[in-house]
Amino acid sequence: MDPSSGIQEPFDLIRLSLSERVFVKLRGDREVSGVLHAYDGHMNLILSDVEETTMIVDVPADGAPAAQPTVSMAKRKMDMLFVRGDGVILVSPPSRT
Amino acid sequence: MLVVLRDGRKLHGVLRSYDQFANLVLEDTVERIYSGNAFAEKWCGLFLIRGENVVLLGEIDLDQEDEVPLRQVDYNLLDSHHQQEIANKKQRDEMKAKVLFEQKGFCKEGGEGDGY
Amino acid sequence: MLIFSVFKTLTDQRVTVELKNDLSITGTLKSVDQFLNIRLDAIEVMDPYRHPHMMAVKNCFIRGSVVRYVQLPAEHVDTQLLEDATRREAINQARR
Repeated sequence: MDPSSGIQEPFDLIRLSLSERVFVKLRGDREVSGVLHAYDGHMNLILSDVEETTMIVDVPADGAPAAQPTVSMAKRKMDMLFVRGDGVILVSPPSRT
Repeated sequence: MLVVLRDGRKLHGVLRSYDQFANLVLEDTVERIYSGNAFAEKWCGLFLIRGENVVLLGEIDLDQEDEVPLRQVDYNLLDSHHQQEIANKKQRDEMKAKVLFEQKGFCKEGGEGDGY
Repeated sequence: MLIFSVFKTLTDQRVTVELKNDLSITGTLKSVDQFLNIRLDAIEVMDPYRHPHMMAVKNCFIRGSVVRYVQLPAEHVDTQLLEDATRREAINQARR
């Protein structure tokens, strides 16, 4: 255990990210980034100034076999958002560079 | 009451009882299917629904229900349309999952720049 | 428990609940319980033609487990208070 970092368990990493911008990867091909204000043991999160990115796949109509499905990203902004913990895949703290 | 289940089914019935897990007893239940601007009903009877399968419980406003711009048609008429729509949606979702998986496998994970 | 308390302070506010089946419902938060089951009054459904079964519904109960997001009114959330409460709860958890 390294006392200087104050990190002994995974949740400590999230605790140290409070009031900082975090990147969260979610189930259902979604990602959000926002300022973390609260979390709990289920990894339920409350974020502000949120930008959500969803992946959209446009499959061309049948009969055009040469056409490739195109993937695009849809972005959406929200002021304050509760994210349910069961959808969270990973939480990544801000890069400290 | 309207009950929406996790598999997308919509049930209309009289809510007789419920508990803390949202286990429900629904009486005089009909299943409703929708397609385009039509809907249809199928008689189902008495149901006990396990709570984990419940998405949503809605109270139907009878006045508002008269305003709904949908027409009721025969269940057998609409059923094949409805099944087709479900099949199409499933196919689209599978295609999407496949495309994203392939794309993720090649570049998306690397493109996120987490470094963790 | 902490998140439950947050939702309790937001009762009677307008919130938008997004479900895992992509249905988005805006309504007045009437009550919430420990499982984060939610009761909404005076609901409006985004994209009603994609969800025709919701057209005649005015109040609803949403099971907590099917919620993906809840959009909250930012002006009614004290972020400083939230962060302090979260740190306190984290310490309490660690002591167990």
